[in-house]
Amino acid sequence: MSPNLLDVENVNKIFARGGIISRSVNHAVNNVSFSLAADKPEVFTIIGESGSGKTTLAGMILNSAAPTSGRILFRGKDLHDVRSRRDRLEFMSHVQAVFQNPFDAFNPLKRVDRYLFSAAQTFTECRTTDKVEERVDDSLRKVGLSLAEIQGRYPHEMSGGQLQRVAIARALVPNPSLIVADEPVSMIDASLRMTVINLFKKLRDELGVSIIYITHDLATAYYISDRLIIMQEGRVVEGGDARTVLAAPQHPYSIKLREAVLSVEGAWRDEPITEAMPAVAS
Amino acid sequence: MITGHRTMATSHEIKALQTAPLLEVDCLKAYYKMQLFGVDREVRAVDDVSLKIDRNEIYGLAGESSSGKSSLIKTIAGAIRPPLRVVEGSVRFSFKDGERDIYKLSPQELSAIRWSHLSYIMQGSMSVLNPVRRIKHAFVDFALPHVNVKGADFTNLVERHLKRVHLDPAVLQAYPHELSGGMRQRVTIALATVCGPEFIIADEPTTALDVIVQKGVLLMLREIQQELKSSILFVTHDMAVHANLTDRLGIMYAGRLVEEGRTRDLFKRPLHPYTAHLISSLPRIGDEAPKKGLEGSPPSLADPPPGCRFHPRCPLSIDICRREAPPLVEILPGHRAACHVAQADPTRVEAVL
Ligand SMILES: Nc1ncnc2c1ncn2[C@@H]1O[C@H](COP(=O)(O)OP(=O)(O)OP(=O)(O)O)[C@@H](O)[C@H]1O
Ligand SMILES: Nc1ncnc2c1ncn2[C@@H]1O[C@H](COP(=O)(O)OP(=O)(O)O)[C@@H](O)[C@H]1O
Ligand code: SF4
Ligand SMILES: [Mg+2]
Ligand SMILES: [Mg+2]
Repeated sequence: MSPNLLDVENVNKIFARGGIISRSVNHAVNNVSFSLAADKPEVFTIIGESGSGKTTLAGMILNSAAPTSGRILFRGKDLHDVRSRRDRLEFMSHVQAVFQNPFDAFNPLKRVDRYLFSAAQTFTECRTTDKVEERVDDSLRKVGLSLAEIQGRYPHEMSGGQLQRVAIARALVPNPSLIVADEPVSMIDASLRMTVINLFKKLRDELGVSIIYITHDLATAYYISDRLIIMQEGRVVEGGDARTVLAAPQHPYSIKLREAVLSVEGAWRDEPITEAMPAVAS
Repeated sequence: MITGHRTMATSHEIKALQTAPLLEVDCLKAYYKMQLFGVDREVRAVDDVSLKIDRNEIYGLAGESSSGKSSLIKTIAGAIRPPLRVVEGSVRFSFKDGERDIYKLSPQELSAIRWSHLSYIMQGSMSVLNPVRRIKHAFVDFALPHVNVKGADFTNLVERHLKRVHLDPAVLQAYPHELSGGMRQRVTIALATVCGPEFIIADEPTTALDVIVQKGVLLMLREIQQELKSSILFVTHDMAVHANLTDRLGIMYAGRLVEEGRTRDLFKRPLHPYTAHLISSLPRIGDEAPKKGLEGSPPSLADPPPGCRFHPRCPLSIDICRREAPPLVEILPGHRAACHVAQADPTRVEAVL
């Protein structure tokens, strides 16, 4: 039997912290397990409250942080053993990331096209300037941009949505088999959001790319996810087929989440404030 | 006689001030002027925008990514840094203590009204919190110069305000990274409202938050707004947030305001094909219909299409659209749109839905 694309096995991440707000250790990711099959590309969605450990988990899957315990296998290989520069580059050409806040993901002093060029030079066979530019332009066009439009620009010279699309385009450059997208569409308009979401769908259906989609947006999650898990305080509280879970959530937290979704019919406009106010602490 | 006449004029002036909209933006043009590889390049991010916002009103702004929303907001807040330049137009506030024409103020006068009259929560605004300094320093830096209390009284004022936004005053001793995203965002909102500003500008203040925390933050913002009777200009891509929070909504496309009206009217009956598309592309839980983003590329603001800027992507476009830019005119009561087709027959826009 060929190995899975990804195995997350009993993964924990514990941060030691002595702050004012939390005095004890912080169990950011608590015993999380799931697998993505190699022969069945899918959109696997992670939903959860702010601070529930989604980004921390993504960081471990991307091998940029190590689990405190448990292990993560990519195509059967423990990420713990992906250490040498060569292995890391090889891993990164298969697994790409789109981060949460594009303003943080780009160095303000570095032109954004540099990121794309260096991705093309590092992860692809393109060597000549022409080939590199072609590859980069290709990726940019998939997200509604073009090289001509962004060439020579610095991050602060672009809008939030443009920058996020550049980040997605960069992730597409190496033709990865897994994309970990941490809230990739929260900064872009509703129409473009569907363009990107449909692009994920297309990557899955036509190119066999699997996608780990981290989001707060339950509606887009419903639209594209095959399976999903819901996290609260580091734990998976509910998981399974996306439509089933979102249509009829079972865990009290999932139910609360489902109920907090705002609708365009403007339901809570006249609701008293205190009732909907969540507890003060994080 | 003369005295009587004066008194009348003065009371007339006062009345005018009270009934005048709090914010009046008139024919505003703001461009980014740059040089790229020796060639001049002009990005017309805000291109002839006029709007009014009333006292005690929450005005929402949505629209395509890179259509100029953040640029518009920066020019309204007077936060203009090169290469951004105001080319034409004016931004006038009628504050309780007098009118202010933003572009006629000196930098000192401008910073005197920051935070106390006008506050601005920026996109990606976690950055106003310095990562290596405790939260209390942010309050000292931003708010202390604008209130006439010091020392323990100032601390009291801040603590009272934090409680008002449902935050434990202990956050003052914390560093930003020790707080969750929701708490940090509440801290930035607390900062922006502590001096009781009349006008609050918020650019995507809740995008990083989960739905539960987001709802809490929005309700809190509205509570504060109602208490202070201030106005809010609120930018977000989340149309459900607009539906729930804002009184009126403006839609931007390619540097222009293309539609504006009461939020409910826009959702119920959009008059611009772009707005209609935006609303129809919203996915919903339980809705199995495929949704599509707009075909074609977003227009370049350095070289926008002639005529109606939406015409290359508009399903309703007709001949005149390619030649003449449609003006933003009132088509239904309190409901403006910039579209030739809607102006002739508003019912035709329903075809896009
Ligand atoms: N400092 C700058 N220098 C040059 N161009 C800029 C600068 N800031 C923004 N722009 C350009 O101005 C246009 C409008 O950008 P703006 O940030 O106002 O968009 P936005 O509507 O807020 O978009 P988003 O919803 O994606 O945040 C874009 O084409 C952007 O690339
Ligand atoms: N580098 C770090 N050091 C200490 N604590 C951290 C670090 N990164 C994240 N955390 C904590 O771990 C928890 C989970 O955070 P995160 O993974 O960012 O959540 P999410 O992405 O779901 O909002 C939070 O309590 C956060 O404060
Ligand atoms: S003016 Fe013409 S092109 Fe522009 S939105 Fe209306 S119908 Fe479409
Ligand atoms: Mg996160
Ligand atoms: Mg913006």
